[in-house]
Amino acid sequence: MRVTESTKKLYDKLTWTWKPSSDKEAGDAIVKNLLLHWFPNKISKASLSWNYSMWLGTISFVLFMILVFTGVVLMFLYVPSVERAYSSVKDIEFVVSFGWLLRGMHRMAAHLMVAVVFFHMVRVFLTGAYKNGGAVGANRPLNWIIGIILLITTLLLSFTGYLLPWDQLAYWAITVGTNIARAAPLVGEATRFFLLGGNTIDQNTLIRFYVLHVFFLPMIVLLLFSYHMWRVRKDGGLAVTDHEALDQKPEKIAPVKSKTYSLLGITNGTTVHVQNTMVDEEKNTVPSSPHLLRRIWLVTLLTFVATFVLTIIFRAPLEAPANPAVTPNPAKAPWYFLWLQEIVTITTVKIGAFTINGALIGGILLPGILLALAIWWPYRDKSGLNSVGVWFAKERKIQNWVFISICALIIIFMLIGTFLRGPYWNFYWPWEAWPEMPVKF
Amino acid sequence: MKLYKKTGSKSLIANNNSLPETRRSFLQKLGLGGVLAGLAGFGWQSFRSLIPNVLYEPPQRFKIGLPANLAEGVTFLEDKRLYVFKEGRSFYAISAACTHLGCTVKYSKLNQPKQVEIGGEKKNIPFEFHCPCHGSKFYAEGTNYAGPAPRPLQWYKLEVSPDDGQLVVDMSSEAEQNFRLTV
Ligand code: FES
Repeated sequence: MRVTESTKKLYDKLTWTWKPSSDKEAGDAIVKNLLLHWFPNKISKASLSWNYSMWLGTISFVLFMILVFTGVVLMFLYVPSVERAYSSVKDIEFVVSFGWLLRGMHRMAAHLMVAVVFFHMVRVFLTGAYKNGGAVGANRPLNWIIGIILLITTLLLSFTGYLLPWDQLAYWAITVGTNIARAAPLVGEATRFFLLGGNTIDQNTLIRFYVLHVFFLPMIVLLLFSYHMWRVRKDGGLAVTDHEALDQKPEKIAPVKSKTYSLLGITNGTTVHVQNTMVDEEKNTVPSSPHLLRRIWLVTLLTFVATFVLTIIFRAPLEAPANPAVTPNPAKAPWYFLWLQEIVTITTVKIGAFTINGALIGGILLPGILLALAIWWPYRDKSGLNSVGVWFAKERKIQNWVFISICALIIIFMLIGTFLRGPYWNFYWPWEAWPEMPVKF
Repeated sequence: MKLYKKTGSKSLIANNNSLPETRRSFLQKLGLGGVLAGLAGFGWQSFRSLIPNVLYEPPQRFKIGLPANLAEGVTFLEDKRLYVFKEGRSFYAISAACTHLGCTVKYSKLNQPKQVEIGGEKKNIPFEFHCPCHGSKFYAEGTNYAGPAPRPLQWYKLEVSPDDGQLVVDMSSEAEQNFRLTV
């Protein structure tokens, strides 16, 4: 009797936020629960909708959680040593129970995360969600920049990750990657030396990338992600709510009940700014508990299942052990870097007797310019309040098209790299057979 | 100033207040500065420790065997990424590291030697080097002619070791394209 009762109590405690019996209970759940505290008490229906945000941010966080979980388990099994790395990965793949699944999930979640984080950025741009709406103290441009840093960190996490098995892909990726770093003017040589921990790709290099992969970069993601989420609330929620507020008809505004709270110098100003831009609150919002929580769980479940199924369909490859003497032919980066590989291939410029390496132009200058543009854009974009939080706002037509074109170009380069490049990076149509290439000298 | 002069007591209070205030803010700045300097020093020291002072890397200068034992034509030294050529009594060495982004270039023999003009000179080319990563191509003596590679392949100096007569490659000193070691 007692056991069942206390089990039921425990169960209720763990689940009551998903089915609160009253509005008060729904609110209490959010206020009292540490984990739920970063959600607002009430949330607008618009920001819950599937076709506004597509939940891409949530999905990328779930993927990150899968990566953390599988990654920590993998840390027990993987040995970051030049002699043993490859065979430990092989053991994970073929000897450890469910090791293939663990490694496969880790790899698949990483691939998906790169894609989802990228599309999250595309979504934010196309809905103009990096722009401030009416909320007091909002700083969405800053959050956009944090987001860009998170995207880059995600890419770096992937890069440092696929070096760890110490197979051919890993070895040649470091070779090419650090030689691109070397092409940077003035600091290039020193940067490469620092990254490799010497002049050759060796144990020093492996342990460096390992520590970056399992500690530094995940830490950066965690810290920035927390700040990213906190900012979303500070900025008044998703941009779509700002837009909703603008849509209200003036005559509908009920007299606002106002109260002044003195803050005793804890924060600037004398009143709490309750950042409620919604006027028809009753009509447009629902309690976060259970509506938001339920969707988050659904998104989590779907993301997990999708990752799992994809992992089973596409088994993780493992190339031959690293071999400095033989470069695979063709030597291809993972898909998300293939556009860069394509660009470093075609951007070597000759001016008279002078040649500038494609590594500098395609590997450093061009990505640098894209990055600088992305960071600067929110400050450059002068479109009006009406285009905040709307897909393809008329006012933002031109910039949206420019942005889509850049993304399309990147994707086209990726596709060319994936499907149309063969041995010696020559161009082949998919129906053309690649010539037979001897592996050895 | 004028306000304080009116009543002595007020000026006294003002003085009393302002003196410790500046001292306090000075100490505050000093403390904060100390903390920042400490952090900076700590950061620098951590960063510096990651730049190795000793490297356990294979030497740049190494022996590759007696000249007589080397096969006529080309030999690929895998672990050094080096092509060593023997033409009768003359020897030379070309690096296999592509000048674009460092992949290992492949030696490929041409079915028919081709005639090309390099630097105004007509030459017969029996083989070439091709790079798998981004498709750079080099003529037999290393001149880049296609793809993104910005420079010719590197040549290295060869010497004969005085103690045992073996060939010595020095991968830290570059050689001209017409360098030949004749023994
Ligand atoms: S590394 Fe040889 S062409 Fe790029």
